[in-house]
Amino acid sequence: MKAERRKLASGAFIIFCLNITSALVALLTSYYAYKANRLVSSSVLWAISIGFMLLGFGLVVDAGTSLISGRTLVDITGRTAGESFSDRVLTLLASLTYLTLQMVAYLVIAIGYARSTYGRQLSTAAPAAAVGSALLSLYSFAILSYFVTLMILAFIVFQGLLLRSGHGGRLSGMVLLAFVLVLVAHCVLLVSVLVLGPGLFLIGITVQFLGFLSLLIFVVRSEVVGPG
Amino acid sequence: MAQGEKQRSVLRINLDILNAVRDEGEAKPTHILYKANLSHERLVKYLDDLTAKGLIEMKQEGENRTYSLTPKGVGFIIEMRHAESFVQGFGLNI
Repeated sequence: MKAERRKLASGAFIIFCLNITSALVALLTSYYAYKANRLVSSSVLWAISIGFMLLGFGLVVDAGTSLISGRTLVDITGRTAGESFSDRVLTLLASLTYLTLQMVAYLVIAIGYARSTYGRQLSTAAPAAAVGSALLSLYSFAILSYFVTLMILAFIVFQGLLLRSGHGGRLSGMVLLAFVLVLVAHCVLLVSVLVLGPGLFLIGITVQFLGFLSLLIFVVRSEVVGPG
Repeated sequence: MAQGEKQRSVLRINLDILNAVRDEGEAKPTHILYKANLSHERLVKYLDDLTAKGLIEMKQEGENRTYSLTPKGVGFIIEMRHAESFVQGFGLNI
């Protein structure tokens, strides 16, 4: 029992490390988008900057959740009932915050891409759905959030493919790969929430991390080499 | 519409002018005009604008007028190259 708890705690620590690294990459991407937007003044870059900033903060919150869960698992016998309860409330609030931030972040990026492709006429249905779904319970909200995020990500990948076929640079494949990996990760995460599989959750987080790794390689290379 | 047929943004035109000036070192207006593909009237407007922003400087020797990049202009080109690379990564263009 104790060994199993330790195994779960180390899993939580791995998730913490992957999420913190992903958060740093997201915040770095947000900063570069902000810097580029100061020169180029593009609504898409503004959306990318805001979206990745929200995503970065969300991932920091999620990393914090993993840390609290890990600490609780390791130190379960030494904690009072009150402390355990406050940990659970904190984890619940952090999970809600992360899922909301993530959904809003991808929504902002998707809106930015849509503005670039279709102009300024956009439906307000998606933001309304995001606000409405926040009223649901955490489990339903988690499923709905992952599903909505999945849909938004699929839309972003589709837009990315359309834009890339038009005038993508030589590095645009890496950004597209990043979004595809995050999309795959969310498919896995959605399944993990549905079947409540911690192993699948870890795989999902790892695939998401690989997506952010691809984004990091792109950000670094775009600083080193010129446009393609 | 093909990319080449699209109307260039003001930023793109400014960048084309700055690149033309950089390539020549000290560029004559006719060379910039040819490389940046602009009418004389529009070129004068853009050159005045870039000079006012301190990105290029004008030297007049008798009838001859040449333009060269200022350190601020060199820095701007480098920053723009990074920004362009980033923007292209997301499938966009400046």
